[in-house]
Parts: sequence; C-alpha cells; structure tokens
Amino acid sequence: MRRTAADYRSGPVVWSGVIASTCLVLFLFQKMLWLVVPFILALIIYYALLPAKQKLVMRGISHDAAAGYVAALAFSVVIGIFVLGLPWIAAHAVTWQESSVRYLDGGLNLITGTLKQLEGRSAILAQAQVSEQLAQKIAEHSDKFAEKYLGGVALAVAAWAPSVLLAPFLAFFMLRDGWRFKRFIGRAVPNAFFERTLYLLDQVDRTARLYFMGLIELTLLDTICLGAGLWLIGVSGALLLGLVTAILAWIPYIGSILGCLLVVLVAATDFPGNPEIAYGTVGLFIVVRLLDDFVFMPLTIGKSLNMHPLLTVLMIFVGGAVAGVPGLMLVLPVLGVAMVLGETLGRVITDPRLRARHAYAKLLQRQIVTADLRP
Amino acid sequence: MFGFLQGKDAAASHRLARTSLFAGLKVGELNIVEGFMHERRYLPGEIVFDEGEEGQALYIIVSGRVVICHPGAANRPIAELGAGDFFGELALLDDSPRSAQALAGEATEAAVLFRGDFERLMQSHAPIASQIAMQLARHLGQRLRAMVAGAGGVAGQ
Repeated sequence: MRRTAADYRSGPVVWSGVIASTCLVLFLFQKMLWLVVPFILALIIYYALLPAKQKLVMRGISHDAAAGYVAALAFSVVIGIFVLGLPWIAAHAVTWQESSVRYLDGGLNLITGTLKQLEGRSAILAQAQVSEQLAQKIAEHSDKFAEKYLGGVALAVAAWAPSVLLAPFLAFFMLRDGWRFKRFIGRAVPNAFFERTLYLLDQVDRTARLYFMGLIELTLLDTICLGAGLWLIGVSGALLLGLVTAILAWIPYIGSILGCLLVVLVAATDFPGNPEIAYGTVGLFIVVRLLDDFVFMPLTIGKSLNMHPLLTVLMIFVGGAVAGVPGLMLVLPVLGVAMVLGETLGRVITDPRLRARHAYAKLLQRQIVTADLRP
Repeated sequence: MFGFLQGKDAAASHRLARTSLFAGLKVGELNIVEGFMHERRYLPGEIVFDEGEEGQALYIIVSGRVVICHPGAANRPIAELGAGDFFGELALLDDSPRSAQALAGEATEAAVLFRGDFERLMQSHAPIASQIAMQLARHLGQRLRAMVAGAGGVAGQ
C-alpha cells in the first residue's frame, strides 16, 4: 500500500537540516543586516495593513488599487501625526531635556549613594574611595560625551536611515504584488507537486503571520505585568514605562538592559531618598524578564510557531551564539519557516509516487512535442 | 468599465458561472472567487491526483475532460466529467485521503480552489463562502441520495 502524506513524520535527517539551515540563514542575515532590518519592519507593516487591503479586495476593488488606497491612507496618517505632533514636540522639547537631565541625575545619585553606603560598611571599599573615583569619572565622561560619541551616533543614524526608509517602500510592494508572487511560484511548480507546494506556501504565510501576532501578544503581556508591578510600587507613568520597556525587549539582552535602566532611572528620581524602591524595580524587572523568556515566549511565539517550549528556549541560545543580537531576534521566525519548508520538502522528496508522476508527465510532454518528428 | 451595472447576463458569461457550485453568485462575487483561483493545465493521460493522497484543493474543469477511476482502471471509469463540472470537493471540508484517482482524459484546463483560500474566503467574505458551502451541501446530498437509491436497487434485486 502506498504511503500517504499523513503517515509522514520528519526524521533526524530533516531535523538536522532544519537546524543547520536555520543557523546558516542567521549567519548570512547577520552579514546583511542593512537589508534584513528594513525587510522585517516591512513585514510588520505588511501584516498590519494586509487586513485593510483584503477588505477592499473583497469589496471588488483590484489588488493594485486596494494596495494604493491603503498605503496612501497609512502614509497620510503618519504624515498627519508628524505634522500635528511637530509643534507639540517643539513646545515640550525643553521640558523633556530638563526631565532627562533630572532622571539622569536621579540615577547617578542612586549609584553614588549606594556606593557610599557600601563604603560605610566595607573598609576595603572605603580605602579605595570608589564613590569619589566614580563621581570624578562620570564628570569627565559627561564633559567629553558629546564630542566623543555624538559624531559616531550621528554617523550611525545617517548610515541606517536610508535602509530603514526602505521599509515602507518594501511594505507597499509586498502589499501590491505579494499575491502575484505567490501565484508566480505556484505556476512554476509541476502538476505532481502542486497541492503539496501550495500547502507549503500557505503554511509559510501562516507561520509568519502567527509569529508577528504572537509578538504583539507577548508585548501586551509584558506591558501588563511590568505596568501592574510598577503601579503597585508607586512609580509614575507605570503603564507607559511598561509599554516602552516591552517594545525595547524586542531586541533581546540590549533592549532588556536599556529597559531596566529606564525603569531604575525613573524610580530613583521619583524616590530620591529611598534606594530600596529602585532595587525593588530591578527585582520586578528580572522577574518579568524570566517570565517572558521561560513562560510567555514559549506560550505566545513558541505556540504560534507550533514549537516545543524546550526547543524554543534552546534555539534562542543557539541563535545568540551563531549571530549575536540579530540571531536572538530572528532565530524563532527563521526556525518556524525552516521547519515548514523542511517538513514539506521531506514529504515531497521522499514520496516516490509524486516523483514518478512528475517523470511520467515529462514523458507525456516529450511524446506530444516529438509526435511529428517520428518517421 | 461600469461592470457593476451589468446584470445576470454578465454573470452568465463568466467562465466560473458554468459551474453549479457558483450558481447564484453575481458577477462581482464571481470576480472575487476568481481572485482565489489557481490555473492548471494537464496533458491527456496525466494524473490530477491519486487515490489515497491527502486532498488540499477543489478542481473545476474549464475545458477538457477528466476521468474519475480507481488506479489502473481508467477503462472502467467511476465518472467522466466535462467543462463546468467540479471534483475533489471533499478536500474543502477536511484533509481526508482522496477516494479515487482523477486523470485527464484529454488536454484539460482546470481552475483550482485551495482549502486555505476557501477558509480565508469564509473569514473575509462569509456570504459568498456560505453560498458556495450551500451548493456543496446540495451536491453531496444529491450524491448521497443517488448512492442510497443505488444500494436500494441492489438490495431489491
């Protein structure tokens, strides 16, 4: 009896191939981040705008016109927000500058205060005069900060701006021509493999869509947990802080450190004479990060990609080892797509009947085109 | 231009309107369904799908002829279908194995509706999908009645 597709289970060869190809893709991605970053941003914009475009198509508007209308509307909204928000930003810029200086001072006071407390308890630290040295170094550093780093930061922004501006451009063409690309691929597939390949394309699309939906769910969960914790502690702007740190957490490690720093600065400034509150926010932040990495992420993104939680956690470490920070960010969506591709290719390649049908179709084609060449 | 002003005649001339599955759909709705269709061309004697294969799509014959048979028994067909007929409809409902083989009897062009696309149609345009689902249920009901009548006839003999 012929083996059906339902009987197929991926073996160790397919799994090794999936993990190896994931690592290879991550390594290559790391080498061309200038293209990968705008591409991912474009995917997020694409999946955010796709439902609106599909609704217009369902009303009988052509794909091109629907993509044009949706893109124009989104562009107008962004420009509108920018134009309306610009005077408000300009009016509040001075206040923000003052606030940021106040929060930085609050953070520095917390560090020096903590060190002085430690010096009071430890003779070695007192002799080393760590707090004084640190205060001196911070003063020197802040004096030369602008001239030392501002040029580099400006250069990095200038280098990344064109590639980030590529994102809306890419998103528009994904929106307009994505369905054509799917059909183009479908047409190139031989009849024997058609249904399986169509299924593969559908699964890849579904995997990417679910990943980005999982990412949004994860951000909401992080925001709620951190916002609730900060509100209970009594830190000002708890929900906004929770949201900003949850979005920063999209960048593993670095984003988390920045988020933690932000929360500590606000807590130290809100409660200047009470360093325990700032320590409490650090503890809360660590608990939320652990929950995020080991509970929420496997339940949202891992679940959406239909992955085992253990594999999800292990692959995060592998991604970090292979491609650093970009590897940490991209490992799960890349693995999800590689899993679907590997499984479907395994099904197609290991099915002798499909290969035989394809060979027979080629033979029929040959007979037809050579019919009048025979004597 | 002004396609929305065209009435039933325009719908009747649509290539999908020849199929009973899409009976009752207006020209605009047929255009929407058309947007979900894939096109395939088969050579005479080429297999469209095999018995026992996991079904993913419904096929509508645009031109040509398709023979439904058991493998290796094309000379004793279960059914012969022509332009406007459809087959493989159970694949829209679940991923159960195909119950017979479909073979192109002559050069055939087919429009293919993939299950994933049908599910998307159900989510985004429920009235069209529900009309198709109703026609599908009627078709399956007719086939069931024919089977019962056939079994009754055999039992009577």
